[in-house]
This record gives sequence, structure tokens and C-alpha cells, in this order.
Amino acid sequence: MTEYIELHARSAFSFLEGASVPEELIAACHELQMPAMALLDRDGVYGAPRFHMAGKKNGIKAHIGAEISVRIQKAKVKRQKKKDVVSIPVLVRNRIGYQNLCRLITLMKLRVPKHAKSGECAVTLDELAEYANGLICLTGGDDGLLAKAIHHRDTENTEGAQRIAEWLIDVFGKGNVYAELQRHFNREGEARNQMVVDLAQRLKLPLLATNGVCHATPARREVADVFTCIRNHVRLETAGRLLAKNSETYLKPAKTMVQLFADLPEAIANTVELSSRLEFTLQDLGYEFPKYPVSSGETMASFLRKRTDEGARLRYTGRNGMPTYERARQQIERELALIEKLKLEGYFLIVWDIIQFCKQQGILVQGRGSAANSAVCYSLGITAVDPVGMELLFERFLSEERGEWPDIDLDLPSGDQRERAIQYVYERYGKLGAAMTANVITYRGRSAAREVGKVLGFDDETVGRLSGLVHTWEWKDPKDSTARQFRDAGLDLRESRIKKFFQLYQAVQDLPRHLGQHSGGMVICQGQLDSVVPLEPAAMPGRVVVQWDKEDCADLGIIKVDLLGLGMMAALEDSIQLIRDSYGEEVDLAHLPQDDPAVYAALQKADTIGMFQVESRAQMSCLPRLGPQKFYDIVVQVAIIRPGPIVGNMVHPYLRRRQGREPVVYAHPALEPVLKRTLGVPLFQEQLLRMAMICAGFSGGEAEELRRAMGFKRSEARMREIEVKLRQGMARNGITGRAQDEIVQSIASFALYGFPESHAASFALIAYASAYLKCHYLAAFTAALLNNQPMGFYQPFTIIKDAQRHALKVRPVDVTQSDWLCTIEEERVSGIGCRVSAENQSCEDPALHPTPYTQLPTPLLVLRLGLKYVKGLREESGQAIVRERAKRPFVSIDDLQQRVPELRKDELRKLAAVGALNFIQAIDKLKFVGQNVHRRDALWQVERVARAAGALYEELHEMDGTSPLLPMTLPERIDADFRGTGLTIGRHPVGHHRVELNKLGALRASDVRSMPNGRLVRVAGWVIVRQRPGTAKGFMFLSLEDETGVANVIVTPQLFDKNRLVLVDHPFLLIDGTLQNQDNVVSVKARRVWPLSFKVAAAPSHDFH
Amino acid sequence: MFACIYSQSVSDSVLLQDFAYSFSPLVEETAADTVVLDVEGCDLLFGSAYELSKVMAGRAVKPKQSGGLGCKINVAIAANPDAAIHAARFLEGITFISPGEELTGLGDLPIEVLCFELVGVAEKKQAGRPQSREEILETLKLWGIRTFREFATLPVAGVSERLGQEGVKLQQLAAGKTDRHLKLIQPAPVFENSLELEYPIAELEPLSFILARLLNQLCASLNTYSLATNELRLSLKLGNGATHERKLNLPYPMRDHKVFLKLLLLDTEMHPPQAAVNAVAIAFEPVKPRVLQNGLFIPLAPEPEKLELTLMRLAKLLGQDSVGSLELVDTNRPDAFRVKRFGLKARIDGRKRRNEIRNSQSTIRNSKCLLGFRVFRPPLRAIVQAEHGSPTQISAWGPSRSVYGKVVRVAGPWRTTGDWWRTDAWARDEWDVAVESSRSSISNLRSQDAGSTKGAPRPILFRIYRELRSGVWFVEGVYD
Repeated sequence: MTEYIELHARSAFSFLEGASVPEELIAACHELQMPAMALLDRDGVYGAPRFHMAGKKNGIKAHIGAEISVRIQKAKVKRQKKKDVVSIPVLVRNRIGYQNLCRLITLMKLRVPKHAKSGECAVTLDELAEYANGLICLTGGDDGLLAKAIHHRDTENTEGAQRIAEWLIDVFGKGNVYAELQRHFNREGEARNQMVVDLAQRLKLPLLATNGVCHATPARREVADVFTCIRNHVRLETAGRLLAKNSETYLKPAKTMVQLFADLPEAIANTVELSSRLEFTLQDLGYEFPKYPVSSGETMASFLRKRTDEGARLRYTGRNGMPTYERARQQIERELALIEKLKLEGYFLIVWDIIQFCKQQGILVQGRGSAANSAVCYSLGITAVDPVGMELLFERFLSEERGEWPDIDLDLPSGDQRERAIQYVYERYGKLGAAMTANVITYRGRSAAREVGKVLGFDDETVGRLSGLVHTWEWKDPKDSTARQFRDAGLDLRESRIKKFFQLYQAVQDLPRHLGQHSGGMVICQGQLDSVVPLEPAAMPGRVVVQWDKEDCADLGIIKVDLLGLGMMAALEDSIQLIRDSYGEEVDLAHLPQDDPAVYAALQKADTIGMFQVESRAQMSCLPRLGPQKFYDIVVQVAIIRPGPIVGNMVHPYLRRRQGREPVVYAHPALEPVLKRTLGVPLFQEQLLRMAMICAGFSGGEAEELRRAMGFKRSEARMREIEVKLRQGMARNGITGRAQDEIVQSIASFALYGFPESHAASFALIAYASAYLKCHYLAAFTAALLNNQPMGFYQPFTIIKDAQRHALKVRPVDVTQSDWLCTIEEERVSGIGCRVSAENQSCEDPALHPTPYTQLPTPLLVLRLGLKYVKGLREESGQAIVRERAKRPFVSIDDLQQRVPELRKDELRKLAAVGALNFIQAIDKLKFVGQNVHRRDALWQVERVARAAGALYEELHEMDGTSPLLPMTLPERIDADFRGTGLTIGRHPVGHHRVELNKLGALRASDVRSMPNGRLVRVAGWVIVRQRPGTAKGFMFLSLEDETGVANVIVTPQLFDKNRLVLVDHPFLLIDGTLQNQDNVVSVKARRVWPLSFKVAAAPSHDFH
Repeated sequence: MFACIYSQSVSDSVLLQDFAYSFSPLVEETAADTVVLDVEGCDLLFGSAYELSKVMAGRAVKPKQSGGLGCKINVAIAANPDAAIHAARFLEGITFISPGEELTGLGDLPIEVLCFELVGVAEKKQAGRPQSREEILETLKLWGIRTFREFATLPVAGVSERLGQEGVKLQQLAAGKTDRHLKLIQPAPVFENSLELEYPIAELEPLSFILARLLNQLCASLNTYSLATNELRLSLKLGNGATHERKLNLPYPMRDHKVFLKLLLLDTEMHPPQAAVNAVAIAFEPVKPRVLQNGLFIPLAPEPEKLELTLMRLAKLLGQDSVGSLELVDTNRPDAFRVKRFGLKARIDGRKRRNEIRNSQSTIRNSKCLLGFRVFRPPLRAIVQAEHGSPTQISAWGPSRSVYGKVVRVAGPWRTTGDWWRTDAWARDEWDVAVESSRSSISNLRSQDAGSTKGAPRPILFRIYRELRSGVWFVEGVYD
């Protein structure tokens, strides 16, 4: 039995006031054989779940508490400034205490904005008194309430301290206030301790020894000092007395503490006594998911059954016919029974309620993830994939053995629509009933290097070099030792300061920095969420976040609904609206024609730029080999290009078997039913589970356990344990030897990064929809993609060039025509638009031979770029232009400037530079017949109208409307386009240099496609994508675009090392290499690389490194 | 007519000016590498403008000793100084621009090289100025204006409406049509004086007469310009060929030659030259004199001149590093301080003064509870016997005092560690120990430290510490 328990410790979740994560504290506690410990973070319980879980694992009782910032009012403590804030440590005794603590912290946090100044976020003594029930109060350490009062050792202050202690006893109750003593070998601290001991004797307060722990070990004091500097914006050299006096605030063994307090043994004994009084742990959280309100006479279960039944009839009897319905009924019945048993009806109804809201509001919504394995979810309209028809495994979603909440993720259009759904949840459950989960931002990479460098006093240049050392390339060269990296940057790791930097940089890795907001996870609670976990304001107005991240919530059994924003959903939704307005057709995504030939033709050719999930370089190189012919092929396609199947070497066997080049064999005959659909190669997580169930006799829940053990949070011990179980099970079923190893290997290899089939199917639906819209409504789809940028794999320029290659005409930004967003217009054959397009003659590339996906619509629809694409133009100004134009057209630039006062001079200039004012000019110049209108005319005018002439001359127009400036040359126009909009609708920048490239012998991307395998070729183009994925062993993949399309280039690690700068920095490249043309997948394996110095501006490439 | 001389190779602008003065007395220093001369009337001396240019270019390549610059120069002659500047800066060799032909000569120059500063347009945006060079160039770039000629041929009214009067001035500049006077160089007064001695001086007294004479003249000169100095530089050429140089920085600007003389003599006494003096030179750094309004009720501080002399005398006695005021350093390192130069405090405003008084009062009021502590400098190295890490017996000897005895009471340790990121990190444990006193055990502390002698001797309270890195013990001081 230990003699001492540490009851006052801070973790790194006190954000820059503690230097060890909760797991480190528990590990130290475990090593010291301390049976319990209390975590008191500053104004929060941020680290409590991790502390609790680590404690649970190590058999240590994790007490919870917090250091509460309290603003002392004048009346309570004499000579305190009004804004004085002290810290009062409190420990949670029971669940009421915990709820009070959470409410108190919520009250404090929600009162001030997210980035409130230090000291503004505090409660008053009265508020503390209101929520004191169930809490134990300690008198605190250096920054505590008593320490503040006992500042000077005189009678007056002794009386003040006594008044405070009496007040605490009044508030928390006799026996719930402990006189805290800390001994850090500090003179002032000891003097205070003597006064506290005197005071405790007078008031009969129990003494309590603590060590005010800020770090687990003495060595972490250095990190604590670094954090002090970061918090106070100083350097170590100038921090002075802000730094710790010594390293004594670490977790000390009981023996040391007993020696330290040898003169006050009761202070040590009381720690054990107090620990035994603290009943509460997070096991006893008291969380309940809200009940869904149903009418009288109904229960949630009966209501859910009715809604499921209605949905099932609608979904299963409509298309699929009765036989599926019968099978579905049985599955639904089984699922409902389990849902009722686990009392999850409320959860399903609440998600159903969100779906109903979205449908009523016309917001596209689709469930993804493992929820797609549930027939109940499908019937309720939560998901769009039929799990019965696709024979998906329900246990992947929900199982009794696992004892975990199910996870339903909803994809919503990113932006306003998603925000509406989130705000609906807030409204429905109240501000204190629902909140987003947090995202703990930790010290990593460059930010850590920069901050540590600054604290050590390095100059800006060195800090830049040090932070530059943190490689962001996904692929890390094994030869890249730390010493070599430092040497390359001109820094010597043997130098003491640099060495110290490196040690500290490593020490701060993964320590919490601040709290962010998770992208979409929402938690909802029956009653008040603020009694389960403290709530805080998010940086985004109208949002509230809990103090725990989604992993913590899951660990503590708090159920969450992910409302995720998906750019493609927003693009699909916008496309449907644009189709409705321009094509006059109604598209229902749920009822798109199946097996559309144009869609599959495009997919087979890998003509997929802009299509969801199948547009990446890796997907494109796989599509011609896989040659999708039906919907399930798209499901496979979405799932196959994932690190799991790639690392597990599943891709090539599958493709070879599909092409009939390899026989379909199974590791064991029993696996045939599971792997038949994927030709004997496991590609989905469900197959992994079923394999374990069939081969090793695992139950559904056990199989899911297996997946999790192999999955994200790997534990070696747990993996070994479950592997043994798996092998034993297989041996029982007669699977031994090589077959056993093969199965174990395939399970282990992609448990981590494989897709569940249900998830792939949900994504495949969106992929099919995006492909369908692109093939049949190219103008609308392209406009929607452009309006929802940034999203996807390619820059807007590439999307436009691709659309142009498919016969979409694109019109430039024009203040007389463009809206804020990109729109669709009918093509005009005469009028000003044509006459003034002299400057935009290059809109259509002469080298281009467009190949439309399908027949072009009549009348021909063209895409009009929106004002949004003018860089530097504010939306406020853009909308004002559209608003004023709707009243009556602008007749001149003067008119525009006078009617749209929101437009600033620089915005007018930008509009003129990209040619958006040319058309007003044209109207103005109709009287000057035969005169060309160009951007410089507009620029000339803009400078005049933007310069305030004064009231007297306001109405005075320039006598001679012509400008003396020459029109822009072609390169100047392209340059202005790229600078002003990031794209050009005119000829491709590479196309302008075709003659020179022909002289160099460079082939066009379209020419390369028809070349035979093994031929030496030379290609040239603009690098639109650079990739160096971690799974590619140092290979780099480039996408080179020219006026005819995209050529793929593979760069070996050796060539990359030799030409690193050229490959990484230069926008235009000339590459010699060997052509690889296998199954219509064409790429060039580079041998030599040269930069091309074209004097044409280009947008930056999209780099994944 | 105006001639402009430009050379990238000339590093010394004074040399360039001197070179220019050899042709004309009317010289403007446009930049460190550019000078403009008014050469009207020089034809009588040098012949035609072309001949003058040739002479300039020819003389420039001569070595410095022969009145040249030792490098090639560009020379341009034009009817206005700005056209000459542009031509000299951006056209190689000799350029002659006839009046009215400026655009012919300069028209092809790129617009980026236009010297905006000649018409007062700043590089970056400044408050109160309508446009910067950066903005105007951006506008011109957008307009497709690439050369002086293209800019010059734009309609003036149009430019005026768009770029304002600054635009018009710039356009005139590009057209080579500006009209302005040269800003002629006016040499700044130099406060330097020197004297070559007929025979070497090896004594301070005769040197003082020389110094006094030079200082008298310099101070009179300062007085004429209503200036003072805060920096004196003394340079003595010595018999052994070396130069003895001293620089005195004064806390306030002064111009009292008597004070300067005393300061220099004291300094020379402290830092005597290594050989007899052959030549003496003194230079002053001129600054504005100190203007001080004394308050009616503020006590007069010592005169700064006298204070400076006193400090210098003290420095002579004790050494330069031992004079000044102590300042505590913001660190947890025990006994950390630094010596800073002593100076009189500036006037303190009322509120700050009141706060200071209040703080000092509170310190006095609370001091009744505190012990006085006398620090041993340097600390006494000690041998300490300890039990369970706690001192039990102590013995320490120093040149003037020693401590020996049994420890009867102890408080501590008080531990401080820090500066862990530096090579001189420290870590120490302190104890307050009561040492049993007796006449034999504590010498030299009898009268001051041993306290009452009536009855049984009282223990004496010391502070001892142990350097944790070396393990060595010290006695730091004694409590009163």
C-alpha cells in the first residue's frame, strides 16, 4: 500500500503550462506504483479522457479535477486589483461535482470569445460558490488564492488569508477544503507553507501534501521552460524569472514525498484518505443520447419500426422486386432487434430527423462509411447503397460484442448547406445540448521547429532554415539522416545550440498546442451536454465545441454524428440547379440511368478530370486496365487505389485476373463465396471480416475487433494476441501452412488503409453521378466545379482546358454579362459579344480538335466565367456589380464606377487587366465605328475614373474617348490572364511554343498515346501535378499538360536526386524517356530532364508531397 | 549646360566631388556615385563641351595621386541636369545631348530606370504622398509603357488626369525637359585640430599645454556654431611610429575646454602612451547642446561636468570596470548583477515618482520582519560534513575571516537550477545554517557578527551553498 498519492498534476492539456501528455503521467505513476492520481488541467478537462483511458489500462484510478481561474472581487481580498485572477484547484468527488465542474467551465468559456486575452476568461467567486457542490477545494500552490493573500508576512495579510480560508469552508463545506502544501525547495514557498500550517491549525483544516506536478520527469522541465517562453512571447535568454526556479515539479515517488514532509506526516496520510473519498471517474460519466420525441402511444422503437418499414417498402419494392424485399425484411428485422437491444433507437431517429430536414430544405445528403452496411439506414434514407443487394456485412457497422456506438457519417455539400444542417442540430437540441467535437492541434513539423527556434534565440534566417529542414515530401529517403539534413542546410548538429534545438524539437512533437474544431463531428446529449463535457466557443461564429476530440468521445462512449462537407456534393447540387435553369431538365441523382455507355466509355479511357474519386493520376493509370463496365466495377475502382491494397500487392493480381491473364484461385476453397466477386483477391474490409469469420470461426464482433486491432491505433501486444487467436481458429478449421500465412498476411496488410465495401459503394455512387453529369451536362458540371473550388485534384485551368477539349466553349469574365459565380449562356452568333472579341480570338485553340462526350445541346450552351475568378475582387464588389447591372446596363466605365461605389481603384484595374471591361467599352465606342476595343483602352479609362476629380469636374467627361495605348500582345494577354484569374481560356501556354517544340522534336500528349511500347520519346509541357507518394519507394510522378492533353511521366529516385531543383521548381519541362504503353495506360519513364524557359506566366502546380 | 559624371567604380563620394571641383565650382552631389556640374562658361578653360567631356574622361582614368579617379567614368552633357543624369547613368562613355534633342538621346531607355527620386516620388507608399514609384510603374506596366519615349509621347492632359502632377513631372523627366537649379554642395564644419611638435614630449605637463591650446580652439569653434560635443577623439603620433588613440564618450553634450582638458589628462594618466609624442590631433563629434529646464522645486543634481570628472578620477583609482551603478539581472541565478555606467536619472513624472515613494515606504515598513544579510565576496570555500544530505559540521577559511563549528540548526535546501540551454548552466543547493559559536571557532566575526557576548554564546546564522555540478561547498555570507 502506497503512502502517497499525487492529487495535483497538470498535463500538456493545460496548453503551454504543462509539459507531459496524460499517458506519460500515468506511465510515470505506474512506474512509481502509485495506485491513483489526479489530473487538474487549467480551466478544462481536455486531457481527462486520455488520462482516464491510460489509467484504466494500467490499473490506476484517474481522479479528475481542474484548476479554475477565478477573478477576485475587491471585497473579498484587500489590496487585490480588480482584475486579479487566481487559480483554485478543485477535485471532483462525485458525479454531481463533475457536472458542476463542467458547467462552471462552460460558463467561463462561453462568456468570452475564443481568443480572449489572458485573464479575461475567469469565473467570479459567486459563480464558484454556485457550482461548488460535489467538489473538493485545495488552497493551491504559487498562483493559488491563499498564496496571493499571503504575499507579505504581516498581521493584516494573515487575517486576509484567514478570511479567504473561512470563505472557502463556507462555500465547499467543512471537510471539503484542504490546506495544500507544496515543497519545491523554495524559500518563499516554505515561508508560505508555515503560514498555511498555522492557518490550518487555527481553522482545523486538514493538510494535504501535493507536488503541483507540471511534468512527468525532471528532464521535461526544459520543455516546460520552452512553453513558458512561447506563452509569454519571449526568448529563453530574456525570460528571466518567468522560467522555473528548478526542476522539482515532477512526479515524485512516495518515498521522496514522505521524506520531504517528514515533519508533517498527516499531510501525506491525507492524500490517501482524500483519494479514497473521490468516488468519481469518467467511467461514471452519465452520458445519455437524446430521446427522439414521439407522439403518445408510440415508443421510439415502434416509431423507428414504422419509419423503417415505410422506407423499406419504398426502396425494395420499387425497383428490385419482391424477392429482395423479403430478404431485406429479414435483415431489417435482425438489425432492429439488435438496435432495440442496444437501446439505439433514438440515435437512428435523430439521424433520420437530420436527413428529413435536409430533404425538406433541398440539401443533398448521403450517408457514408460503415452505415451503408445497414439495411435500416438504407430504408430510412440515410444511405444510398442497398446492403442486401450488395451482400454487405452488418457487423462491420454494429455488433453486440464490441460495445461501441455505431458511427454514421453524413456527406453534405460543403459550404452554406452544411452549415444550415449544423445550425439545425444546434437549434433542435439547444446551444448547450449539441456541439462539435474538438480537434487537438499538436506541435508538429514546421510550426514546432519555428517556435522552438525562436525561443532559443535563432535569427529569422536560421529559423527559416531550421523549419525548412522539416521535410514535407511524403516519401522520405532512407539515406536522409538527420545529421545529413542539417549539414545540407549549413547547420552543424555537433554545435551545442543546434543540438539543443534538435532535442527540444523532438521533445515537443505531438504535445497539444491549442484546440481546433473537427471538420464535422457533432455530439448530442440528452439533457445538457455541458454537464458531460465543458463547451467552448469555436473560432467560427455560431459554433460551439466540446473539450474532447472525436477519439476521446468514442472512448468514453459518447455518440457522434459526422456532418461532413464534401465539395463534390456541393458541385452536384449546383449542377442540378444549373441544369434546371439552363437545359430545362430535371435530374434526379437517385434515378440516373444505369450503365450509361458514355460514362463507361469515358472511364475506360481514363478521361476523368473532375470526376469524383477517379480523377487522380493513380486512378487514371488503373482505369484502362480495369475497364469498368458496370457499377460494381466503379466500387472496385474506388477501393483499389488505396494504400492498403497497394501495399498488400492486391492491385496487380486483381487486374491480371480480370484481364484473364492469371487464373482465379482462392487461398482456401471456403473463401470462394467471400472473394468470388473480387476474383479471389481481398479488396474490402468486409471481406477481411468474413474471411476471419469463415476461416477462424470468429463472430461478427470478434472479426471487427480484429480489424480494429490491426487498424489505426495499432498495439503490438494486441495484434500478436489476436493473430494467435486467428491462427488457432484457422488451425481448428484445417487451414494451416502457406494458406494460413497467406490469409494472415492479406488481413494484416490492408486492415489499416483499406476501404469498407459499403463506403466504396457510397463513393462510387457519387463518382457515377459526377461522371454522368460531366458526360451529359458538361457546361453545368464544369461551372459547378469551378464555383466550388478549391476541390479535387486539378487546378481550375486544367478543368477548363479539359472541358474545352470536350467542345465546351468558355467565355471570359465580363462585367456586362458575368455573375459572381460561373454561369451558362446560350451561344450568340452575332452582336457586340462577337465583334469585340477580337482580343479574345485566341479563346479557341486552333490546334484543338474537340471531342464531345455526347451530342452537343441545341442551342449550344457556353460557360461564362464568373467575377469570382478575378483575383483581388471582393465578393461585396462583385455582387454590387451584378445588382446594379440588373437595374440597367452599364454604358461606360464612368457609369460603372459611379453606380458601384463599392469598387475600389485596384479592383477596377484588375477587372480592366483581365478584359472584363472591354465590353462596356464596346458599348461606349459604338459611335467610333471601326475602332478596336482592347484591355488597355479600359485601363486608360480606369485610371481616370478612379482618380477623384472633385465635385466640380465629376460630370465632365474626357473630350477624346480614345486611348493612346497600344493593345496588349498575345503573351501579355496570357500573362494578364494568369495573374488576374489564374487561368486563361485562350490557347494553352504550351501551344504558343509548338513551333519551337517541334524543332526540338517534342511530341504532343495526344501523339504519345498512339505510340508503341518501348519507343524513345521526347515530351514537353506544363507540370500540373507533382506527386511523390510514400508507397512509391521514392518514385516521382509528373503530369505534363499541353494543348492536346496530359502526358504522364515517371521519374526514378536516382533521376530525382540528380535533378531535384529542376523537377520541383520549374513550371515547364522537356523530358526524354522510354514510352510505356501497357493496356492503353501510357506513361513516359524519364531519362533526362531539362527546364524550358517560356516567357509565359503559369499558375502553380498542384503538388502532393 | 550641365555635365554629369557617373562611375560605379568610385567608392569614395568625396573623391568624386573633389574631381568635379577641379572642373567647376558649382557641383551637386546627386548620389554617392553621381555628380552634376554647371559647366556654363567652362569653354574658355576647356574648349567646347565635347573637349571638356574628353578632358574629364581622360583625367578620370589617371591614378588618384595624379588627380584622377583611377577608373573609367561616364560623362554626359545636356541642357538640363536631369537629362544629363539619365544619360550618364545609363549610356556608356561620353554622351552629348543637344538642346531639344533629349528624347532622341534618352527615348529608348527602359521606363524602370527613370529616376523617380529626382521629382520626389518615393520608392514605397508613404503616408501623405499620393503615389509611390512602385504604383506608378505598375500602372505604366499595365499600360504597356516600356520606354521613356512611349511615356513622353502620351498626351500630357491624359497623364495629368490619371497620374496627377507627379505623373506630369515624371513625363517631363522622361522627355528630358525638366528645369531646375543644382543643389550645390555645402561642406559641413569639421571640428578637428592637430599640431606637429618640433621635439618629442615625454612628460604629461608639457603635453597638457599643447592639449589646452588645441581644445581652446576647438571649443571656440564649437561655440561659433552653437554646438557641443559628446565624443572626443585624441590621436597621438608616437616616437616609435605607433599611434595612440583614445575616444571619450560623454554622457551629455558639453563644450567646456577646462573639463575636456582634465578628462583627457586623467585618461592619459590611466592609459599612458608607450613612447614620446611627436604629433597631437584632437577631433570633436559635433552635436546640439543640451537644453535643460530645471524645476523650481526639484533639488539640483550635481553638475554633469563635475560628476564626469569625479567618475573619471574614481575610475583612475579603482579601474574602469569597478565604477558604475549595480543593476540586478532578471534571472533566477543567485547573486546575479551587472555594473552599468553611472548616470543621473532623467526627471521622473509625478505618478511614477509617487509610486516609487509608495514602494519604498512599503519596503521600509516590511523590513522590520527581515534579516540583514552580509555577503562574503568572494564566498568562502568550505568543507562540510553532512548526514542524509543535511550539513552537520562546517569549516571554511578565507584571507580575512574563517568559519568553523557544529551546525545546530538547518533550513533547506533551497534549490535553484537554470540556464540549461547554455554551457554555463548552474545548479545549487542553499542552506541556512546556525553554527555553534565560540571565540575560537569564528575569528574576525567577533565584533561584527558574533552578537551578544553576555551569557552563553548565540549560534551564528550563515548561508552556505553547494555547487551541484562540482560538489564544492561555499559560505556565501552571514545574517545580521
